[in-house]
Amino acid sequence: MVRLHQVTKHFPGRARPALKDVSFRVAPREFLFLNGPSGAGKTTLLRLLYGADFPTSGTVTVGKADLGRLSGRKLPRLRRRVGVIFQDFRLVPRRDVFENVALALRVAGGRGKSLVERVEKTLAMVELLDKADARADTLSGGEQQRVAVARALVGRPALLLADEPTGNLDPDNGRRVMQLLADFHARGATVMVATHDPGLLAQAGGARVLHLRDGRLEESP
Amino acid sequence: MSRRGARQGALYRAVRQMRENPWLTSVAVSTLTVALAIVGAYLTLVLNLDTAGRRLTTGAALMVVLHDDVSPSDGASLAREIIHWPQVVRARFVSRGEALARFRRQLGPHAGLLDGLGANPLPNAVEVELTPGIDGTETVVPRLAKLVQVAEVVTSRPWLNRLEQAMTVMGRLALAVGGLLFLGVVLLSTNTVRLAVYLRRDELEIMDLVGASTDYVRVPFVLEALLQALLAAGLASLLLWALLGLLGAPAELPLGVRLSEILRLPPQVPVVLAGVGALAGVLGGMLGVGRVLRNQVRR
Ligand SMILES: Nc1ncnc2c1ncn2[C@@H]1O[C@H](COP(=O)(O)OP(=O)(O)O)[C@@H](O)[C@H]1O
Ligand SMILES: [Mg+2]
Repeated sequence: MVRLHQVTKHFPGRARPALKDVSFRVAPREFLFLNGPSGAGKTTLLRLLYGADFPTSGTVTVGKADLGRLSGRKLPRLRRRVGVIFQDFRLVPRRDVFENVALALRVAGGRGKSLVERVEKTLAMVELLDKADARADTLSGGEQQRVAVARALVGRPALLLADEPTGNLDPDNGRRVMQLLADFHARGATVMVATHDPGLLAQAGGARVLHLRDGRLEESP
Repeated sequence: MSRRGARQGALYRAVRQMRENPWLTSVAVSTLTVALAIVGAYLTLVLNLDTAGRRLTTGAALMVVLHDDVSPSDGASLAREIIHWPQVVRARFVSRGEALARFRRQLGPHAGLLDGLGANPLPNAVEVELTPGIDGTETVVPRLAKLVQVAEVVTSRPWLNRLEQAMTVMGRLALAVGGLLFLGVVLLSTNTVRLAVYLRRDELEIMDLVGASTDYVRVPFVLEALLQALLAAGLASLLLWALLGLLGAPAELPLGVRLSEILRLPPQVPVVLAGVGALAGVLGGMLGVGRVLRNQVRR
């Protein structure tokens, strides 16, 4: 599903690379944690997977697509198949909850009854149906996080990337979000979760964990 | 729920973002209106002066000078004959006495100059007026010159040729100035779009991240610029029409050109303004968004 091959990422003006010679594969339907302290390169790695940034060297493959060679036209299509929960949510503040979630379908040409049904179903899943008309900037942090989850899930992506999905939440809300991700994984999706929180790993039982430190990979035994 | 199921096409989103930024929209429309009004004023002047110039350079009068031995009655019958020629609208015998009286009138306070002349130096003549738009240099003029009664045919052709040349040069100049004005409107539109994009850069980046195509992001901005430009073209036409109505007093200018004719809105102007505005809007829209999208996360 996902393959990184000797990926190195340098940011201009930085002596140390954010990622150094990172190689790994993620099988379809796998649930994978990307763990490491703040600044280890987790966000940078995830960004490579949806083409928000590109490696300095090495190759990144998602599905059959080599992201380094993807044309400007094909990148949007890839992004529609990859659901992303951003560390900072990335909601449109002046739009209501419904439209924020619907956006993921609208950009792919979705509309009509099927769009409304799918958005409502997803909102029900994250327990936000009663807030459908509320502007995104009037929600609490936990609610915004769930809207971000709903938007990532509504298109039923084959690959779900979550960047610190519980980082801003109290333990209760954190567990709810992790449960949503686990449910989505159970329905056949590949899920990658980046977190600096060791507690989260303990919570998620037998999932595979990749440890990142200073941009280098140390796979768990 | 039907509102939510509705397709949010590019036009829908263009109108929505205009309504969400009323301040920017009104600034954009008013500056574009002023710019297009300037283009329109300029166009009005060019078109109307061109019409006036064309009238001057065609259908002008010829002065057919008669030999001294041709009597006034022969001259008058010659005039009656010429009037039936094709391309001739009017032919009138002007006796030397009448010509002198007219000259006196034209000189006005300086008419005393003529008193020193003694005998009347002016000849008998026939004034011939050609159909407007006809240049008689190669048809009517040689035929008149061949008549036995005729001493000379005086035309304003050489002078008019020079005027025409001048008008051609002016025309090119007008085109250059027009091009510059158009460029100004395009730049104005580009910058407005850039500002509009800048104001919603967060939303655009989110759309980009969830898989919007470049066109999905770009087209509403192009449409927004187009709508604003069309609105501005309408307002600019109204503004010009009102302004010209106020200025166009019925005063007479030299060479028989009326001020109200120069200061009237040619019917082409609103159409041209809409076209210029639309083109500038589309160009400005594309340039404005193109730049921003290239600067975004995409390589
Ligand atoms: N756009 C950028 N420009 C320069 N340095 C960056 C940029 N993004 C990330 N970095 C650096 O790369 C390293 C990894 O960052 P990041 O991937 O955000 O870590 P994590 O998500 O694990 O906390 C950090 O040292 C960070 O400062
Ligand atoms: Mg991070």
